[in-house]
Amino acid sequence: MANKTNLFDVSRCTACRGCQIACKDWNQLPASIKPFKGHYQTHDDTDPVTYTIIKFFESEDPVHGVSWNFLKRQCMHCFEANCVKVCPRGALSYSGWGAVVHDPDKCIGCQYCATACPFDIPKYLKRLDIITKCTLCNDRVEEGLTTACARTCPSGALMFGDRDELMQIAEDRAKKLQANGFPNATIYGKLELGGLNKLYVLTDTPDKFGLPVNPKHPQVTVWQDYVQPYASWLIPLFLGASGVSFVTSRLIANKNKNKDIDKGKEVENDAITS
Amino acid sequence: MMQLLHEYREDIPRVERFNFVSRFTHWGHTVTFILCLFTGLALFFDSVDWLAAIFGGYVGAGIVHRVAAVALTLIIAYFILFNFRVIIAWIKDILRFGMNDIGFLLKFPAEFLGFHVNIPPQTKFNGGEKGNSLVTPTMVILLAISGYIMWFPTIFPKWMVLIAYPTHDIAMVLATCMVCMHGYLGSFHPGSGESFWGMWKGTVREDWAKAHHAIWYEETYGQKDEAEEEEA
Repeated sequence: MANKTNLFDVSRCTACRGCQIACKDWNQLPASIKPFKGHYQTHDDTDPVTYTIIKFFESEDPVHGVSWNFLKRQCMHCFEANCVKVCPRGALSYSGWGAVVHDPDKCIGCQYCATACPFDIPKYLKRLDIITKCTLCNDRVEEGLTTACARTCPSGALMFGDRDELMQIAEDRAKKLQANGFPNATIYGKLELGGLNKLYVLTDTPDKFGLPVNPKHPQVTVWQDYVQPYASWLIPLFLGASGVSFVTSRLIANKNKNKDIDKGKEVENDAITS
Repeated sequence: MMQLLHEYREDIPRVERFNFVSRFTHWGHTVTFILCLFTGLALFFDSVDWLAAIFGGYVGAGIVHRVAAVALTLIIAYFILFNFRVIIAWIKDILRFGMNDIGFLLKFPAEFLGFHVNIPPQTKFNGGEKGNSLVTPTMVILLAISGYIMWFPTIFPKWMVLIAYPTHDIAMVLATCMVCMHGYLGSFHPGSGESFWGMWKGTVREDWAKAHHAIWYEETYGQKDEAEEEEA
């Protein structure tokens, strides 16, 4: 299957949060009721039963007055995903068409992926002792449907389709925005971390949307990169050396004993006292 | 052929080497460390499902790992609370690293393989034991601290969690290497195997103590007058 992805166009988003509801609906997730904190954003962040949220960024300047930036936040489905690399149970894997999928049956809730994720996405669901995250609607896409969030989006901010085609749309859109009052308009997800399988058209630089400008994978892969391939032979080496000594020390001791018997000496374990 | 372990000889005079608290700590750590090691290896070496199956699958292995780790920590606390003087003496002995220890380390490979070598007189812990005393407890403490950080990643700052993972990995490899050597030298090795009884029953043969840890023997059980004269 060709690489399928979502394109999120910030300039078209009205923050209706239909995608949040559609996500809950399709994935049969319960409501996550949080206290009111005096702003429009529903939750501070995604949580174990909320795979996606629309983030609100309020800004004020003398020319435009108060303005909002909206950003849909969820798993970025990295092409080179740190979570897939670190998961000790292989619970996280690539779907083959661009999604990073999580198998709750294999997950043991160690939260290694949560530490390894550059976007802080996997969330720990204590009740089941597993982590959860956006699936890119793996189950829908495999059956030829679009993702639940893209299907419900009324303003056309979320599109679903072939990554190459969406990339073309995104580039055209960014150019159009740059020519129409958004000089900093840019694409996010094309090159970051070797490519993300979530494309964004942003009306401003990524930092204005709470996205890392140059995301880097947290360095928690010392085991996978160095220790397991280059240092795990140390343990068999030490075990093997003990095995060699076990044999040689007994052979040598036996030889000495025989010599002593030949000479008619009293036979004692000379290793004790010498 | 020789027997596996040295025979425990009550007919030969014996001297105390380790008190009860030390021995309890040692064997408690033996059990908990090995449980943590095998449950941990089940996770981090690929395709060892049989290892996890011993502990009732990966979830069971995770529970055993955590329970053993808590027990290991409690034993450290017990050791510090009830054996503080011995710890201080132990640390002081490790710090007495001198020419005799360098001599030991140079000649040790031959002794290890079973050749007869003359090793300079040693304190309570010889050059190799000093190394082990330094590396293994340090690594176990690092393993414990980094382990708790990884267990509860949300209550610790992010940078600590990031450091905890590589620390746990590297400390595991170093500690396991030391434990492999230590386990063999302290039991089946013909030269130092008598020290097994020092840790199991608490006493070692006097003649072995004189031959292998001359300085310790003289200072602890030798003629007090002579030792005082030497100091004066």
